[in-house]
Amino acid sequence: FPAELPPLPARSALSAAEILRYSRQLVLPELGVRGQLRLARSSVLVVGCGGLGCPLAQYLAAAGVGRLGLVDHDVVETSNLQRQVLHGEARRGRPKARSAAAALRRLNSAVQYVPYRGALRPRSALRLVRQYDIVADCSDNVPTRYLVSDACVLAGKPLVSGSALRLEGQLAVYNYRGGPCYRCLFPEPPPPDTVTNCADGGVLGVVTGIIGCMQALEVLKIASGMGSSFGGYMLMFDALEGRFRNIKLRPRKADCAVCGDNPSVTCLQDYEAFCGSSATDKCRALRLLPSGDRVSVQQYKELLDARVPHVLLDVRPQVEAEICRLQHALHIPLRSLEEKDEQALQRLQKRICEEKQRTDDQTPLPVYVVCKLGNDSQKAVKILQELPAEEFGSVLAKDIKGGLMAWATKIDSTFPQY
Amino acid sequence: MCQPLASYWLGHTHHVKLAGLRCETLSVPREITSLQLWEEIVKVHPRLALIRDQVVFAVRQEYVLLGDQLLVLQPGDEVAIIPPISGG
Repeated sequence: FPAELPPLPARSALSAAEILRYSRQLVLPELGVRGQLRLARSSVLVVGCGGLGCPLAQYLAAAGVGRLGLVDHDVVETSNLQRQVLHGEARRGRPKARSAAAALRRLNSAVQYVPYRGALRPRSALRLVRQYDIVADCSDNVPTRYLVSDACVLAGKPLVSGSALRLEGQLAVYNYRGGPCYRCLFPEPPPPDTVTNCADGGVLGVVTGIIGCMQALEVLKIASGMGSSFGGYMLMFDALEGRFRNIKLRPRKADCAVCGDNPSVTCLQDYEAFCGSSATDKCRALRLLPSGDRVSVQQYKELLDARVPHVLLDVRPQVEAEICRLQHALHIPLRSLEEKDEQALQRLQKRICEEKQRTDDQTPLPVYVVCKLGNDSQKAVKILQELPAEEFGSVLAKDIKGGLMAWATKIDSTFPQY
Repeated sequence: MCQPLASYWLGHTHHVKLAGLRCETLSVPREITSLQLWEEIVKVHPRLALIRDQVVFAVRQEYVLLGDQLLVLQPGDEVAIIPPISGG
């Protein structure tokens, strides 16, 4: 990361060009020239240049904030373009922080942009956060959220935090005017397998856009001196219902590990270890099964070519099976297996029975389980291993490592990736 | 006496995965502590117990600490269980 940045100069007046450019907001009594000058002296660190960071940075740049720090470790991918609106098709493969800076510079060249190509890390986060007035958490994973929050408490900076998943969003302003920090509300990270990321769960671009814009609004209100409405409140947005709810939060927690009266966290720690997950939204590869219970896509392809009798069980959610599927697979969502859904189990039993008729019935019938990436398939194998042999006959359940996405990259390049 | 119907609403979608629904109505005693109310909900959705310490529990859109605090519920009161979402 670049060296220390010089402070933004204090200014006493706007130029004629600035007056013209910002005239529509200058005439708002709540902002006025004074607010605009404050905005021009403000620096904002944007952690994450994705679905939230793009609209946030876009509106802050347009409004004339002084300096925008843009942190992102990732490069632009095709599946980002549906929501990460600063990046275009031509930017695929390029670092997001630089792509965002380039797009923003076209919008407002008077703003200073400082792209940081790399993840926010415990070692460097505090030094970076200290150089900015306000921090916007636009990240996509749990460890980074704790890291950003702790860094803001230690550096004494307000944190405008946004998040979005599927058709819902959340916004809160932490460490602001006596309000709580992220840890006051969520002292312990959630168990990793209860966390859904946007790659797994999906997200509608407009939802990240709405939350990112709300974050921009709160940053702008803090920077210009109006003050945020969300210190001590959490905004919950439900896009399906079209409903916003404001939840009144608890005040700062006196025994909070970071912002409490006797904090135990006085420097940044290892947040990936603390959360038991990695600081990206890339799907982590679980290892629930011994390697003997797993086959590779290549091995499965050989079995398929050799016409070995078996059942292929696809355990993805219905909506994903509708995107693409292997035609010979039996589709039963993991959820139905977990709930021991009777109809689903009957379908499985019937298929096993049919397939067994093709064999001499002396050896257990292989059941290969597949999902998108090879995580849910392992959970399903564990369920299958528990099924009563008297009803299902003797089966040998294994999962296909890497799932259908490995199938698409290694076996059949025409199979869609999502 | 199990009287008022406190509708409770499970904040976010990964919750749906844990609990199986977004919104439902539950009959609970009119006067109940916040911890008892949580336990009533967990009886219906045992998997929620997994994330007890990772949620904001809110009654009538206000944060409530799980404990001895006595709540006096009215029919139609909304109870929300809000886990943090981390996507973006």
